Amino acid sequence: MTSINEPAENLFPEPVPKWRIERRVNPKRSWTFAMYALATLFGLFLSALLLLTSGADVFKAYSALLKGAFGSEKALYATMAKATPLILTGLATVVAFRAQVWSIGQEGQVYAGAMGAYLGCLVFIGLPAWLYVCLIILSGMIGGALLGTTAAILKDRFDVNEIISTVMMNYLIVFLLSYLIGGGPWTEVSTTVVYQQTGPIPAASELPYLLGSTKLHLGFILALTAALVCYVLLEKTPLGYEIRAMGFNPIALAYRGTNIGRTIIIVMAVSGAIAGLAGVSEIFGTAHRLRADTLYGLGYTGIIIGMIGGLRPLGTVVAGIVFGGLASGGLYMKLLAQVPDALVPAMQGILLLAFLCAGVAARYKLVRTEKDV
Amino acid sequence: MSTLLKAVNLTKRFPGVIANEDVNFELKPGEVHCLFGENGAGKSTLSSCLFGFYQPEGGHIEFNGKPVAFRSPRDAIHIGIGMVHQHFVLVSEFTVLENIVVGTHEAGWKLQMQEARARVEELCREYEIDLDIDANVRDLAVGQQQWVEMLKALYLDARVLILDEPTAVLTPEESRKLFRIIDHMCELGLSILLISHKMVEVMRSDRVTVLRKGKVVGTVKPSDVTPDELTRMMVGRDVDLRVARDRSDDRDRTEPPVLIVENLVYRDGRGKLALDDVSLAIRKGEILGLAGVSGNGQKELFESLSGVLIPDSGSIILGGEQIKGLPSRHYMDRGVGLVPDDRFREGLIPEFNIRENMILGWQRHDDYTKGPFLDHKQIGTIADGLIDEFQITTPSGLTPVNHLSGGNAQKVILAREFVHSRKLLLANQPTRGLDLGVIEYVYKQIIVKRDEGYAVLLASEELEDLLNLSDRIAVISSGRITGVVDPQSTTIEEIGLLMAGGQQGVAA
Amino acid sequence: MSELFQEAILVSILAGTVRIMTPILFAAIGELVTQRAGIWNMGVEGTMLMGAFTAYIVATATGSIWLAVLASMVVGGLVGLLTAFMTATMRVDHFITGLGINLLVAGLTLYWFRIYIKGRAQPTFDGFENVPIPVLSSIPWLGEILFSQRLLTYVAFAAVPAIWFLLYRTRWGLELRCLGENPKALDIKGLSVTGRQYIAVLIGSVMTGLGGGFLMLGFSDRYLADITAGRGWLAIVAIIAGNWLPRGVLAAVLVFALLESIATHVQVLGLNVPHQIFLAMPYLASILLLMGLRRKSSQPLRLGIPYFR
Repeated sequence: MTSINEPAENLFPEPVPKWRIERRVNPKRSWTFAMYALATLFGLFLSALLLLTSGADVFKAYSALLKGAFGSEKALYATMAKATPLILTGLATVVAFRAQVWSIGQEGQVYAGAMGAYLGCLVFIGLPAWLYVCLIILSGMIGGALLGTTAAILKDRFDVNEIISTVMMNYLIVFLLSYLIGGGPWTEVSTTVVYQQTGPIPAASELPYLLGSTKLHLGFILALTAALVCYVLLEKTPLGYEIRAMGFNPIALAYRGTNIGRTIIIVMAVSGAIAGLAGVSEIFGTAHRLRADTLYGLGYTGIIIGMIGGLRPLGTVVAGIVFGGLASGGLYMKLLAQVPDALVPAMQGILLLAFLCAGVAARYKLVRTEKDV
Repeated sequence: MSTLLKAVNLTKRFPGVIANEDVNFELKPGEVHCLFGENGAGKSTLSSCLFGFYQPEGGHIEFNGKPVAFRSPRDAIHIGIGMVHQHFVLVSEFTVLENIVVGTHEAGWKLQMQEARARVEELCREYEIDLDIDANVRDLAVGQQQWVEMLKALYLDARVLILDEPTAVLTPEESRKLFRIIDHMCELGLSILLISHKMVEVMRSDRVTVLRKGKVVGTVKPSDVTPDELTRMMVGRDVDLRVARDRSDDRDRTEPPVLIVENLVYRDGRGKLALDDVSLAIRKGEILGLAGVSGNGQKELFESLSGVLIPDSGSIILGGEQIKGLPSRHYMDRGVGLVPDDRFREGLIPEFNIRENMILGWQRHDDYTKGPFLDHKQIGTIADGLIDEFQITTPSGLTPVNHLSGGNAQKVILAREFVHSRKLLLANQPTRGLDLGVIEYVYKQIIVKRDEGYAVLLASEELEDLLNLSDRIAVISSGRITGVVDPQSTTIEEIGLLMAGGQQGVAA
Repeated sequence: MSELFQEAILVSILAGTVRIMTPILFAAIGELVTQRAGIWNMGVEGTMLMGAFTAYIVATATGSIWLAVLASMVVGGLVGLLTAFMTATMRVDHFITGLGINLLVAGLTLYWFRIYIKGRAQPTFDGFENVPIPVLSSIPWLGEILFSQRLLTYVAFAAVPAIWFLLYRTRWGLELRCLGENPKALDIKGLSVTGRQYIAVLIGSVMTGLGGGFLMLGFSDRYLADITAGRGWLAIVAIIAGNWLPRGVLAAVLVFALLESIATHVQVLGLNVPHQIFLAMPYLASILLLMGLRRKSSQPLRLGIPYFR
């Protein structure tokens, strides 16, 4: 047979690669754990390189970080206080992301929650103390839920991508707050300089401290309760079933009678309410006045925490406490090793990407291919 | 020359399964060689190896007597092997011409559409393919898309053409045309590797290689064997797909039909008329077959009848009640069960375990809840009972369904829909991609439901099966019901004509 | 208000619009290439921020703004490499990857910025000057609005037809659009899907980095945290609102820039409303745009869906 397409030279057999990457049918737990451990080490290693760029002594900085986070009873309580809003924003992420609703509105919902609660604290003033605090918490949750629901409605009715709408609302809500406390009706009076904050909240509205002189307040209990509620919701209720099913395959869920739009709205309302709770806890448990800078970044950090916590409530509590430790240890490190505490968010970002890769790696294995022919 | 393309002791594994084991296979110049086997027998894997899409782990491939190792399809294309995939790999937003040209890597960075056009037009003339090459692929009928795939391979100067189940989406007339083209190709010296599970196509090939569970059972000439012998080679045992129809004519014909569909019209998002004035009626204890090439409105019809999609106009009357426009929940509550055609996408949550999938859609039902919580214990008991009843092969009820074979996954859907529905069963391509044993089982279950008095709508691409099972057969083409025939008196030719869009004289 | 004054303000607003368009346009038209190849890069904001930050460091450290521009492109490319690794090689969800990149960059830039200015006053640099085009710039009104701009502004506008040509008139552009619609069609012809996705992500990221660099060098003389302030996100919105077509993207970017330009002129206009309202305009507009424009006919079918064989 004559041929215009003679086989090219390079088509003749060449050594078959000895190693091959293969997808695991059933990822082993130990392997998965090993991958995540490796990711943590890798993250710490890269962070150490970052530390070197600041010229700091890596060992000194890390030990200061660790000591500041978990070194003493007092440090531990401070860590738990720092962890409180982070656990909550992490849980907000878990609820949304488990449904594969990619909301990054936690940041804005924290602000909305704080503003809702502040409004509640102005409106319900004079009620009995326990009722007053309860109503403040409730109005904070409603504030966050309203913002979350807005994004859900935009997605359901107008097919607006939720990532974009939530990002835009994160900006919008900050402008609103900036107006309210920087010249608007909530601006602190009686000062000559405008500080971009409200006056102190009434003492009756503060979330009570849990243990004497520590910074740990009722918010921590709320965060743990929220984690428990999220766990039960996701694993034990029909709604949780729908949320998880929607995350894996919304089409089949819709085919069998579940209203996807309604589920998205519920998910975003729950997620927003939990994130709003973070705002309440931070303002009424720690800052005791409404200002923007104490709330900044809580929502974004919560996304990392939820992801690293494996989108599980318990994992999120653990990750939240670790990250709370980083946040409070970061201050200590800044004092002791002269490292900017901005290292902490950078570390968080590195850890997140490392964990994402580990999540993929856990599903694969390296196999040796046997000898050819 | 005796052999053009040859596989020697080819072995290919996927995690957990051996897809091909020590496969030996020869393709001679100018012959039509059929690869025959059940779903999952390893036909597609073998052809993907021959096309360089997969790299075998053992054995090797020879071309023109010389060993070759394909690193990618590019190498295979380079020496003249072309492949038409079972599931079309077309870009629906591109024109026919763009689909043919993309990735062909001719010289230059600039698109030379004029030269390409001339060559494609010549190919169309040579093979008598009638196609508007400037049309967007998404506007083409499914059958026409097959010609685009053929042109893609021919444009690359293929001398060996691998056709993977090419007639699955063609009407009988289009299939005949395809085989005319195949014959013409052979005259021009091309070799064809035809993958099929249809006996008619197998019998008109020059040689047949039968695969079973990844291994070659044997290579024979169709003239030397009977179809029954071939089937036995393929399955490894005797199969009888002819389920007893038991047409009991004494059934009460005066009772109003369970489902009456009138004048359904639906335009899809792109403005295409997907359902064009569809009217149907199904009685209690009756199987209405729905024949037609996929993509002619079956999906939209099933979605309409299960409330997943709301038609633009028309009426759906179930048990005397107008339910068009209600959400799917209400259809389920009124006893409509649905077996969708894309089971892992539309019927199951692949990551969920079997137990969880058994209650999909019924997760809020009293049987499965205790107060506000899911009653996992009760769910487990009921689901495990169904696993036994439907003979689902699985380590346990806690196994995720994406670890199940297609057949077992389909049984999960059947179990769920059979248990929860009461009146009407909608089954769209319930046997697609399954092996004969499971197909037999699925049909038997459907018969059982019919005998219990369900109304059944059954769509299938396997005309033989429809003729065996149905009490009446409706034929759909381009969203219209082109006719309703009696399987006892009709012929494949009559149905084929209706599938191609020919109207039936008698009103449905 | 005199008529002359009004005219001057109008011209100033429009000239400002063209300048403000520049960084978003670089990012949007570059990311259009990435999205056409099926990669939904949600890390545009981070990539842009990294470009701006790098431009600041290099501009103040070396004093050369052109070196700074180059550096912002290189660093944008590096972030793109990370994005491509995560999305095309590891096949992590595109959205999650983008979020991770944004958070990482926010942390890194803040950290390095603190180190860079530790113990000293924040250094400044001299940014870009206008480069009026001879003859054209002397056309009344139009000359000032269109032809008395920074050099890179002309480049950004030239990039729109260039990218159009690349996408629709070259063999490579056809392949690239094929990736976004059905990558398997290339895979079965033995062409590397991953390799092409890397290139598409790199084109987008380098241009986004450049946009960040221009944002730094064209508008300001010093860096501040979160200087991009959502412009990366606006670029993504512009692509969606522009229905994935170069001219549509250009139009959407124009809307955002016009709103922002008006906001910067509010003080001059002497309107007595909270300035936050005007600052919020582009973000509000982006939501409204996405609500109103629901034509997504040209959205790549496989956009944001990782490709597995």
